[in-house]
Amino acid sequence: MRLFIEIAMRAFRLQMSYRAAAIAGLLTNFFFGILRAVVLIALYDGREEMLGLSLQAAITYTAITQAVIGYLSAFSWYDVANTVYSGEIGSDLLKPINFYSYWMARDFGRAMAALLTRGLPIMVAYEIFIDISFPNFLLNWGLLILTVLLSWVVSFSWRFIVNLPSFWIPNAFGIGRFFFMAALFFSGFLMPLRFFPDWVVKLAYLTPFPHTVNTVVEIYLGVLSPVEIWLAFAWQVGWIVALILVGQWILKLGLRRLVILGG
Amino acid sequence: MQNSIKLLNKYISVNLRSQLQYRLTFVFEVFGTILLTLTEFAALALVLLKFENIGGWTVGEVAFLYGTINASFGIMDMFFSGFDPRNFGRHVRMGTFDQLLLRPINITLQVLGLEFQFRRIGRIMIGVGILIYSVQTTSILWTGEKAIVLFFAIIGQIAYFGGLFIFGATITFWTIESIEVVNILTYGGSDLIAYPMNIYPELLRKFFTFILPAIFLNYYPALFILGRPDPFNFPPYAHWLSPFAGMLILFFSLRFWRFGITKYQSTGT
Amino acid sequence: MASIIAVKKLDKHFKVRKFHRGRFSGFQNFFTREHHLVRAVDGVNFEIQSGELIGYLGPNGAGKSTTLKMLTGLLVPTGGEINVDGFVPSKQRKEYVSRIGAVFGQRSTLWWDLPVFESFELLRHIYKIPEKLFKKNLDEFRELLELDTFINTPVRSLSLGQRMRADICAALLHDPKILFLDEPTIGLDVVAKERIRQFIQHINQDRGTTVILTTHDLSDVEKLCNRILIIDEGKLLYDGQLEQLRQKFGGKRQLVVDFFENYPEATIEGAEIVEINGARITFEFERDSIAASDLIGRLSSKYRIRDLEVKEPEIEETIRRIYEQQLLK
Repeated sequence: MRLFIEIAMRAFRLQMSYRAAAIAGLLTNFFFGILRAVVLIALYDGREEMLGLSLQAAITYTAITQAVIGYLSAFSWYDVANTVYSGEIGSDLLKPINFYSYWMARDFGRAMAALLTRGLPIMVAYEIFIDISFPNFLLNWGLLILTVLLSWVVSFSWRFIVNLPSFWIPNAFGIGRFFFMAALFFSGFLMPLRFFPDWVVKLAYLTPFPHTVNTVVEIYLGVLSPVEIWLAFAWQVGWIVALILVGQWILKLGLRRLVILGG
Repeated sequence: MQNSIKLLNKYISVNLRSQLQYRLTFVFEVFGTILLTLTEFAALALVLLKFENIGGWTVGEVAFLYGTINASFGIMDMFFSGFDPRNFGRHVRMGTFDQLLLRPINITLQVLGLEFQFRRIGRIMIGVGILIYSVQTTSILWTGEKAIVLFFAIIGQIAYFGGLFIFGATITFWTIESIEVVNILTYGGSDLIAYPMNIYPELLRKFFTFILPAIFLNYYPALFILGRPDPFNFPPYAHWLSPFAGMLILFFSLRFWRFGITKYQSTGT
Repeated sequence: MASIIAVKKLDKHFKVRKFHRGRFSGFQNFFTREHHLVRAVDGVNFEIQSGELIGYLGPNGAGKSTTLKMLTGLLVPTGGEINVDGFVPSKQRKEYVSRIGAVFGQRSTLWWDLPVFESFELLRHIYKIPEKLFKKNLDEFRELLELDTFINTPVRSLSLGQRMRADICAALLHDPKILFLDEPTIGLDVVAKERIRQFIQHINQDRGTTVILTTHDLSDVEKLCNRILIIDEGKLLYDGQLEQLRQKFGGKRQLVVDFFENYPEATIEGAEIVEINGARITFEFERDSIAASDLIGRLSSKYRIRDLEVKEPEIEETIRRIYEQQLLK
């Protein structure tokens, strides 16, 4: 655990040192957020509420999605694949630490720094310029923090898996792209899932993706009943267990292959 | 000039040949690009099933904006990939740009020749596809004039976003870390004009009318071709202005580009 | 004879960002930005005659590459003047670069996915090299650099040595008057190094091409260059013959003597014993205080000598000493 924190701290500091990139990312995320908010405002067209979301909730939704882009590495993340291709993985494997937890720690540090430098400022900027809603009870804040953390674990565990084809094929990014694309759509990043037809929502819930962005959004906005909240947590935990197991299993196969081929 | 065209042809064929060496990756990338644009459009189209219209525009009408800008952005991205700020910044850091400076031909031509990403064909194809969908659902009455307006609109969009790529590439002489900001102008700009301009707050719309004349690239040609009234009362020739807006941006970007090279030669990286 | 390269009071200064270290460095680096000025090249003067083969030496970060970048026109000097073959390198870029050739060690000018020959073909168009000249040069270089085994191979599949040979060939196809080589032998094995050295020598002697090379490998310099320039911390420390440098800063010479019998106490005035190995004794002596012949004379008058050898200090050793002890300042 101590080692986990040490590694996470390093990754955190590294991420914090990218100041210009953080500011640039912040501006970009905010601009695209405004754009998406404007599109939603135009879609509401004066209506106060649509499909269980008020206009303010819909705008807040765009804020949350933009705030978690960095935190969840929503567009791409090939850190593991890159070390496989560069050969850096060799020295990582020599470290006396479980390879899976090593990456989890690194990504945790990175994610926390991103939340601090890109996530929070986005919410503040939204609040200043557009006025968004916040969870109103202390309990809701607690639930929010919990689901935000869990959403990162879900996200990390599937992102880790889509990096693993790099052990077998020379260009794993092509495969990865499809998953990131699917994630954008099915996680409710492009549009809130509840705005889609039922069959799309059902399709989405066959994947782990809604349990990242969409769950965070719905708990944040307080649109779930207590039962639905606990169910949402249960789903997140369930997917985490499944994805981590699958990830570790594929990793084992990949490492075996790497050892046989000699990297 | 003649020599330049000959060289450009050479560069294109060199790029085509190297990219076809990785056939599977190529197919994957094309397919991926098609899916990405399609996913984004599908998200909007699906939501419009319940919301009916956006800023008074139906799915089919928005598809016209969406298809046109994606097709021309794809063409631009293919020919200007050498200037794509993400790649160009890397070339500057790796010293490839130095190698270009050591060759006795025009530097702009060489950067163009650096890369032609043929896999962008995916975005062009899906753009054209969405455009065809629009034409089929909106029953536009085509005239020769409308076809020319569409053609000019595309030329203007290519010049405009090509100019912004050059602008972004120039920025990488100073900094590579904050280059993501340029995405606001390029990808943000192309997203912005994929929707009817009347949905935007006045300030934003005025910015993209008088500072960066993006409103003329896609919106006005579409108003004219779809036969929709102009809510902002611009002169009746506004739908012809796309190429001028594009050339203006391209012109200033090239000036900035030359200034950037001078600066690069005085400070290095 | 007029010099082909003239450099006067050349300066190049850069601003470099400072980074904090330590506990809260992440936050500090996030919120602050400080710079300090680095004088990468500081008041450098030299002239080079047409046809010379110059070695430009210095430790990492001494200002070698910066000078080379200014000479090739990639960087504009902060101060001072450069004149190369009548050109100011950073001006009239197109005219100037068609007269020079340059190879920057680690980076290839060739097209990664193209066979070597097609890269050359493309360069023919870029430099507008007449068909005849192109063929003549290529034929010659193909033979000398032994390019034939891989001329139809894509650059990405070449070994480092092959790539370097192809790159040097590419830099010379248009008959440049001056050739700039930045670390041309870095990372190569002994055979590959030797081949490239011979080629550089050939180009210099046969075609009269002026060559300036920077290198870490002093055996390059020893075999190729009659004149060297040494730069450190932006200042030119030495400009002259390699031999003179050795004499001046070479430190102690050694005399290794094989005697007919063991002389455990074979002392001699003017030299110190550094090693006794049976009948072989190694002496060390100052170059300035005594001549080797005198020393040998004194020795042979007292002892029976079978064989002897005077050893000059290694050039690497000499230059390392110059850097470390800052002898030239």
